[in-house]
Amino acid sequence: MLDFFQSVSDGVLFGATYALIGIGFTLVFGVMHKLNMAYAAASVGGAYAGLLVLKVMSAAPPVLVFLGAFAAGGVLGWLVYLTCFHFIPLSSPLATLMSTVGMLLLIDEIIVHVTEGMPQNYPAMFDDVMLRAGDFTMRGDLLLVFGVAVLCMVALMLLLYRTRLGLATRAVSQQPVAARLCGIRLEQVNATTFIITGLLGGIAGALIGASVGTLSPLLTTPLTVKGLIVTVIGGLGSVPGAIVAGLLVGGFENVLQLYRGVTERDLYVMLLLFVFLTFRPDGIFAPKGGRD
Amino acid sequence: MKKLALAVSLALSFGVAQAQDKTIKISGFGAKTGPVRSFGVNSEAAMLAAADVINKAGGVKLADGSKAKVVVDFYDDRCTAEEGISVIRRIAGTDALVAVGPTCSNVAEPLFGILQKKVGDASDSGLQFPVFTDVAIKVGLARISEWAFRNVPNEMTMYSSVFYWLHKTRPELKTVYGGVEEDFAHSRATWHVVMKDRAQANDFKVVGESKWLLADTNFATQVREMKKANADIVAISAHPFSMCGALKEMARQGVKPKVLVGLTSSSSLETLQGCAKQAQGIIIPTSFAPVTKEGKFAAQTTAKFKGAADLHSMAAWENMFILKDVMESEKITGKDVQGDRRKIRDGLAKLKQTKGLMGVTKRTDDREADKPYLFVQAKGNEWVVLHDPL
Repeated sequence: MLDFFQSVSDGVLFGATYALIGIGFTLVFGVMHKLNMAYAAASVGGAYAGLLVLKVMSAAPPVLVFLGAFAAGGVLGWLVYLTCFHFIPLSSPLATLMSTVGMLLLIDEIIVHVTEGMPQNYPAMFDDVMLRAGDFTMRGDLLLVFGVAVLCMVALMLLLYRTRLGLATRAVSQQPVAARLCGIRLEQVNATTFIITGLLGGIAGALIGASVGTLSPLLTTPLTVKGLIVTVIGGLGSVPGAIVAGLLVGGFENVLQLYRGVTERDLYVMLLLFVFLTFRPDGIFAPKGGRD
Repeated sequence: MKKLALAVSLALSFGVAQAQDKTIKISGFGAKTGPVRSFGVNSEAAMLAAADVINKAGGVKLADGSKAKVVVDFYDDRCTAEEGISVIRRIAGTDALVAVGPTCSNVAEPLFGILQKKVGDASDSGLQFPVFTDVAIKVGLARISEWAFRNVPNEMTMYSSVFYWLHKTRPELKTVYGGVEEDFAHSRATWHVVMKDRAQANDFKVVGESKWLLADTNFATQVREMKKANADIVAISAHPFSMCGALKEMARQGVKPKVLVGLTSSSSLETLQGCAKQAQGIIIPTSFAPVTKEGKFAAQTTAKFKGAADLHSMAAWENMFILKDVMESEKITGKDVQGDRRKIRDGLAKLKQTKGLMGVTKRTDDREADKPYLFVQAKGNEWVVLHDPL
């Protein structure tokens, strides 16, 4: 029984990183009704860019590296918007999908070329802290990841529901034509959405690098897949859905790994996705239609 | 007289120009993109470095006594079987006489499958093109085709030696636990077919195994299983990224086996860059360390072409010199491409031993190599020689 609770705990804590990636996917979908397949790759790219802080200051504290990743993520998010959405006709659904797939591959290859495929050590905070209650343990760094993820989610919800920018974002997602008629600049809102999700992605990438201890180009594809699964299970366009789904997927896959082994783990995660697509295709929290 | 001298000098310079024009092509192929890109990059650098040395010494002597320069081109197979097969077909369509590669065992196995199984079998329409592998190390692949040859270390021999040595020098060690990267052909086979078997053959009890995937990021469950088993030796059959992840989790959970044994391919710069601190003391058998004069020269020359020397890239270096010797002994013409390919194949098949960077390498009847090896250990930021079992 202890093994079960331990697996759930480890999985849920790690699932916070999936939630952050899922939020990025779902936010862009919610505003533009388009999938940004390059999101996870940009997040990992942001994390790599954060390592440049160590090139300038070799003894820089990890928080500065995270801030570097945060800023780089925002820049990458804007670049992805510029290259994959701004100049491409949004009326063509495949065009933006393919352009973001291309961007995913491009970012991946850039990372591989710049780092020569070598894994890079990533600084972490509290990685030597282990909270124990008998045989039950909780990693200090994963608790930090969870805490930062929760803070990011709260900040994002406040931004969406307590600021003019958030109001504009929701207006564009619900009624883009009406929003434009009210004087809201769609391109500006879309670009800002990408920057915000990019900032979130940079933090997510840095937290994932910190929790793994190493950054590698191997991370981009699995994170993309997990992010999409979380987005669908949570409900396309639903930020709370992405949060809950991320934690659910993290806990579920870890428990399944405990009982069925690593070779079947991903099979069951896909089955979970299938179940949701079949019986609850709108996800856990289907976003309300209509207007606020 | 002057006219005669002029005519002679013109004829000589024409002859020299002709020799300078003669080239023979050796193609390389491996993973130059994707997460295992470093293997392909290093192999290419080693091949180019070796070609440079060969060419500076005059080149390869052809059947007519003239010399030809070696030209190397390198193709990217992206560590995928489809791409590898496409690449070898493309190489076979050029004037390349032989290919050195691939990097990944999951490419080598199906690729060898499209080669002609038995030489001279008219009913077999498989590709008749010699492939001389430097990196792909999964056990027993060369027997798939008589056109396939490998210059990779014999892991069965090496791990047998490791566990034998551990059993003799550390008699208090009784149990082994495995950590396996399940979705990579090499690492999977090395644990299930080699390490487990050799540990048991040397009187160790295998008390369990934990499995993960190449791109996994969370090893908590697996390391917890490892901790419960409390084995004396933990043998990790995984490449650097996932091995580092597992080692870091072991450090977090306080799992400290008496001995750590690693996978051959992980005795590389990648491991030290990713987790030098956690990998301290890990023992890995390897078929290359820069301890001989030739080895140091090969490593330094490869570095000039922006590659790192490890057991895989130095096999590519060795392959170039072996091929040079075979081409000369079999008297290739440089004109008949398919005829020269057959000669190279036959020449490689005849070899009983070759000269390697660590000493003499024996060639086996199933076209594999029995290479000299030693044990290295991670100490500080480098791999140091722990023991020479030969």
